[in-house]
Amino acid sequence: MDVAGVNEILEKFQGVKGNLIGILHEVQNRYSYLPEEELRYISKRTQIPITQIYSIVNFYNRFSLEPKGKNVISVCLGTACHVKGAGKVMDALREKLNIDIGESTDDMNFSLEEVRCIGACSLAPAVVVNEETYGQVKPKQVSTILKQHESSENG
Amino acid sequence: MATLVNLTINGREIQAPEGMTVLEAAKNEGIFIPTLCHHEALEPEGTCRLCIVEVSGAIRHSIRVSCIQEVKEGLIVETETKRIRRDRRLIIELLLGRSPYSKELLDLAGKCGVATSRFRTGEEDDCVRCGRCVRVCRDKIGAYALCWVNRGYDRKVTTDFERLSEYCIGCGSCAQVCPTGAIRIEDRGDERKIYTWGQVIARFKLEKCTECGRPFAPKKYLDRINERAYKTKGLELVDYICPECVKNKERPSPVNVPFGGGAMPFVV
Ligand code: SF4
Ligand code: FES
Ligand code: FES
Repeated sequence: MDVAGVNEILEKFQGVKGNLIGILHEVQNRYSYLPEEELRYISKRTQIPITQIYSIVNFYNRFSLEPKGKNVISVCLGTACHVKGAGKVMDALREKLNIDIGESTDDMNFSLEEVRCIGACSLAPAVVVNEETYGQVKPKQVSTILKQHESSENG
Repeated sequence: MATLVNLTINGREIQAPEGMTVLEAAKNEGIFIPTLCHHEALEPEGTCRLCIVEVSGAIRHSIRVSCIQEVKEGLIVETETKRIRRDRRLIIELLLGRSPYSKELLDLAGKCGVATSRFRTGEEDDCVRCGRCVRVCRDKIGAYALCWVNRGYDRKVTTDFERLSEYCIGCGSCAQVCPTGAIRIEDRGDERKIYTWGQVIARFKLEKCTECGRPFAPKKYLDRINERAYKTKGLELVDYICPECVKNKERPSPVNVPFGGGAMPFVV
């Protein structure tokens, strides 16, 4: 376990009220997921019971207990996006990446997720890759979107 | 003495101390309001919504959960209006959709005039997601062994990382406060297991009673009692006596301590 890394994050939030979510965010960003050992360590140091932490980690989509790929693709399956054919977009992505929702590719380049309404209904169906939002996505465009992120990584 | 306030429940003018909930006040008057997540020994959380009542007068005319709503001077409460009955029946039907075989829920349904549920979920268990087990473990025992995971339909009670709990002390309070028996405790030989519908939460070896030799309580539990009830008074338990032997001997023993092990007040 990366004690120094977690300590650094904990130090930053020392004495901040309601700091748990902030700590978890940083840990998630640093390691691409929330490793069990790290969570237990945080519990010990913050005196927040591990069950409380586990509950919170489970509640928010943003947190993951499994390592995530370098690029996280979130397909909105909220009402508006669903109506506008998000299901087909999702299917295209699943086929192209050869993984299911909640999984990552073997090379850990991509993870696929579903989200429920990201507040971009006017762009439905919406797909978010990392921090970038794509609107009115058609199943055909899926390859292009994936390529952009593959290449941005190489270059 | 707390100040008394005047309110009306179902047309009856009553007095109740400030800070009391409408549910308690109604109960004192012998007025029945169905409840599920409420438990006398626990802080109310208002999750099941069964105890709804219609209020007006001192506050805006609306529907409130009576296990949380406090009495107020001039409050007018109705527990059996058409609207309340209809909404309550719907709530029961929804709960039945998930737990169609829970005897306790079926009894309540009967009392509220619900014969069948229009909802079928396919996935069924007896847990009504009332959270009593989580609350007692957290707020009364202080073990923090149980927690909620997931959301919506997948919400369930479990342990950290959904494995055998390291923090459970095996007191069985969760099973005791569970209104439906969804979380259970089972002693067999010298082993205690605590279960939910999908998982063994914890396992313990039972210590033997120093009087009769019968295995009766996990070490962690006895230690906790020692810690909480005796050590603070500068005492320490040296012999562990089971409830049966205590009855016969009328001497203090770990199970006389007012938590867990049969001593929790239980209301349905
Ligand atoms: S296991 Fe029992 S006490 Fe716990 S939430 Fe379910 S019904 Fe309520
Ligand atoms: S439903 Fe997809 S952004 Fe709102
Ligand atoms: S008893 Fe009041 S909400 Fe459950």
